[in-house]
Amino acid sequence: MTTVPNPALDPEVMTKRFLEELDRFTKSSDTFTKLATNNLDIKIGLTPKTVIWTLNKAKLYHFTPVLPPEQRHPVPLLLIFALINRPDIFDLRPGNSFVEYLLNQGYDVYMLDWGRPGLEDAHYTFDDYVLEYMPRVVRAVQRHSGKREFSLTGWCIGAMITTLYATMRPDDGIRNLVLLTAPLDFADKNAGPFNRWLTTEFYNVDELIGQHGNMPGFMIDYGSKLLKPVENFISNYFKLWDNLDNPAVVESYMAMNKWVTDLVDFPGGAFRQWVVEFYRENRLMEGTLKLRGEKVDLRNLRCNFLNVIADKDHIVPTCQSTSIMDKVGTRDKLLLHMRGGHIGMMVGSGANKRVWPQIDGWLGKRSK
Amino acid sequence: MTNNQSDRFDPTDPVGAWRTIRDANLDAWAKGMATMVNTESFSKALGLQLDTMLAASGPMQKMVSQYMEAYLAQANMPSRAEVISLAQRMTNIEMRLDDMDARLDDILYAVRTLAAPAVGAAAAPDAAAEAEEKPAARRSRKAATE
Repeated sequence: MTTVPNPALDPEVMTKRFLEELDRFTKSSDTFTKLATNNLDIKIGLTPKTVIWTLNKAKLYHFTPVLPPEQRHPVPLLLIFALINRPDIFDLRPGNSFVEYLLNQGYDVYMLDWGRPGLEDAHYTFDDYVLEYMPRVVRAVQRHSGKREFSLTGWCIGAMITTLYATMRPDDGIRNLVLLTAPLDFADKNAGPFNRWLTTEFYNVDELIGQHGNMPGFMIDYGSKLLKPVENFISNYFKLWDNLDNPAVVESYMAMNKWVTDLVDFPGGAFRQWVVEFYRENRLMEGTLKLRGEKVDLRNLRCNFLNVIADKDHIVPTCQSTSIMDKVGTRDKLLLHMRGGHIGMMVGSGANKRVWPQIDGWLGKRSK
Repeated sequence: MTNNQSDRFDPTDPVGAWRTIRDANLDAWAKGMATMVNTESFSKALGLQLDTMLAASGPMQKMVSQYMEAYLAQANMPSRAEVISLAQRMTNIEMRLDDMDARLDDILYAVRTLAAPAVGAAAAPDAAAEAEEKPAARRSRKAATE
């Protein structure tokens, strides 16, 4: 009788695998050392652009078109990101850039950078951003493009700002509004940790802003990471370690990490308003929100409306974005459920195959 | 890239086996922590932690602020509040300049249209936009603050 050796426990195979792992470990250690000593820098936001307008810290960029004028959409597109973090996420890196994709599809793309607020900007509220900044930004786009009509895309808090603007200034020439993971409805107090944390009586927003002026970026970052503590503080580093021998993964991590760690303070007045009037009192959806004494009535939002939400968004749960569909005054509206997280939906590996073409498909038809 | 190997157990790969156990533990831990941070008691604890920190830093910050203000006044230097106030005034001036710039463009456009109707008609806003340089056709809708 002969015995067949168990290949699973063959010492030779196991040794071979162990040596392979050792070889990988050596290569990974090299990359890790470069990472740890900041010797692996990666640049983001590289698509060629020009500053065409500035106001205080804000800058308006125009991206250099890549298609000839006759192949471009006649309606320019303005991108607005949140007050926190940098708008570079719209243009993360070549090959994974929403801006690059839009330019290739023939859009005339503008992007607003809110800048980094100082203490002199601590008094700014959403009233200022919606009614002072936005009209001027839009006017600058109209003057530069020579077009009265334009499309507007807002992401995260930028989606709130664009929604308020489109509602309060519906006759300014806005033709299309695209919202990406928009935090708008805070009625469900159990929807996500942010809603719980900010609505508790112990969260003393007045004292916080009183002492710091603006909401410090590091605190926002800490809070965001605390939403998924194990992933953000531990697992992500293990995943990176496991993939250090893969340059594509390392590059992707570096680009994302650069954007995530580039922290921006939340202007104090706007942060207080964000917590009290939006999170706690849900004024926009309750119909009690007033900016500069002017009531915000969502029925005035009459432009074409696309609302894109991410099914795994742990920062803005989908219930915060969906209810607006029944409240806006437009008939041309579409709610698009996409796979992904709050940011990953637009910059993840599947974004250029799933999400961007869907947005282009909707927006392209309405930009003729 | 090896992380995709870690979702199944491979006895010939000792490091992979460790990785499988590690990932399973982290996943379980992550789920537990995600549930925990979404509870009322965690929210209260977080709020209280912040409140304690602010209560501790408040008096110190006030004291430093008062001392600095007195020191800067003695040294004939502007205080932080004065610099902030100046910066705010500059932003207001910048806004007015922006509005004036837009209005000036409107006036220039109107003047050019009146002076040369034929040219003005050719340089209608939408047609002019296609030109690489568009100085004459620039126009604004109305004052942004209206």
